[in-house]
Amino acid sequence: MSAYFAFARSSFHSQLAYRNEVWANIFGKLVQVFARVAIWQAAYAGVSAIVVDGVSLQQMVTYALLGGAVLGATRPERIIGEIGRSLKTGDIAVWLLKPLSYPLYLFANECGSFGYRLMTQVIPTIAFTALFYGMLPPASLFDGLMFIAFWALSFTLLFLMSALFGLVAFWLMTSFSLDWILGALLQLFSGLLIPFWFFPEPLATIARHLPFAWVVYYPNAVYLGRLSTADVWLHFGLGLAWAALFLTGVLWLWRCASGRITVQGG
Amino acid sequence: MLIHHLRVLPLLVRMHVRSQMEYCGAFWLDRLAQILSYGSVFATIGILLARFDTLGGWTWPELALLFSFQLLAYSLGAAMSFVQLRDLEELVRLGTFDTLLVKPFSPWAYLVFSGLNIGYTGHVILAVALMGWAVLSVDFVWSVWSASFLIAALISATLLTAALITMIGATALIWVRSNHLFSIFFGFWDLTRYPLNIFPGGIQTILITAVPLALTSSVPVGALLGKPIPSLGDWAGLASLVAGPIWVLIAIVHWRYATGKYQGAGG
Repeated sequence: MSAYFAFARSSFHSQLAYRNEVWANIFGKLVQVFARVAIWQAAYAGVSAIVVDGVSLQQMVTYALLGGAVLGATRPERIIGEIGRSLKTGDIAVWLLKPLSYPLYLFANECGSFGYRLMTQVIPTIAFTALFYGMLPPASLFDGLMFIAFWALSFTLLFLMSALFGLVAFWLMTSFSLDWILGALLQLFSGLLIPFWFFPEPLATIARHLPFAWVVYYPNAVYLGRLSTADVWLHFGLGLAWAALFLTGVLWLWRCASGRITVQGG
Repeated sequence: MLIHHLRVLPLLVRMHVRSQMEYCGAFWLDRLAQILSYGSVFATIGILLARFDTLGGWTWPELALLFSFQLLAYSLGAAMSFVQLRDLEELVRLGTFDTLLVKPFSPWAYLVFSGLNIGYTGHVILAVALMGWAVLSVDFVWSVWSASFLIAALISATLLTAALITMIGATALIWVRSNHLFSIFFGFWDLTRYPLNIFPGGIQTILITAVPLALTSSVPVGALLGKPIPSLGDWAGLASLVAGPIWVLIAIVHWRYATGKYQGAGG
């Protein structure tokens, strides 16, 4: 286990090494979050209302801050890109020689990277924007605690989805399109920009049942108290079921992929 | 020298295009994935407008015109610059850029044309199709003047995009690392598919001056449709047309300054 912890620590430190990048990333994140809030302010101003479909502007601002800063901290393209690079260079074959699990290495690497983004982007962005816009607290203590659980679930699910998409590169021999396809699905069906309560039917019903909803929509809905206690537990269970399904998929694909490795490098 | 350059450039482009098309299936799969990705961004804006009718006073077809203009200008400009200039950092780090300096050829022209990116085909297909629909759907009376303005503003926006990317890439010749500046560029670029007037004053100012990406989207499209443009007002149309050539001149000066400062970082 200490090996995986070392991978996570190494990933954290390697990203912290370039200070200019740290500042650029904080600045970029702040701009994104300010923009998301501005979009909602403009949308509500357009209909001259402070409550739309039972959702207040302040709740939507909080949704935008959480979605942009907290739940947007995981980077699927990094995970898919890592698998694609290892495949291209032939490094992937080396993992078969090591007494280590490649999927677990990827997870440890992403944990370290997530820790870096948590410290350098999420916390500063939330602190600054919360002061600026007055972010709402969780609807209740229970919702607040469950938001943290949903956040952990969101991180795990997003990692597993990305790893699953990345491993498909063993058959396509390119990870580029997989990265863009997952990005497209997340953009539309995770609720990152628009929560499903503003979606037209039946698109909203479909989106609520897809696994992408657990990445942004459900954690945010729990934080804002939009789900009853029973629904919170139900959806947490469903999210765990999705995670178990994706975990099985990743392990199965990795086993199949291991038998397909063709090293073309020198 | 110029004739020599003009003779070599098509050869460089043809060689790179042939290498990119070697895996034809993978190439078109990648383009399809990009169309899906930008299509989902466009669909997200559509869902927002379906519920809220307007955004900053812009209707759905107007936003479609804005989105397609922004995507087309970016893809044409980035095809001439992005991947080539993004990779410059690695050339500097490894010392490979030195080999370009000893060639009897402009290093910038060699970089750009030997890596001309036809990978933006997917962006162009989506943007042109969407622009065609938006031009017909928008509540606007088209004339020869307005159509000419749209084309001229698109050329200017393309030049501006390529100039900004060139300047970011060239910074690697001084700092060794410059790719983190692209994350700022794309952070602002994401905003330019929305009207400028919905953003706070500070972001509006940055988008017109330091990172003038609003001049590649909502300023020209807003000027065309007669929308109020913050800060620029009636000058928005003229600013859209001259921004591209002016920033190209600034980029040329910056490139020359950066190559003058270059000392090499490779072994």
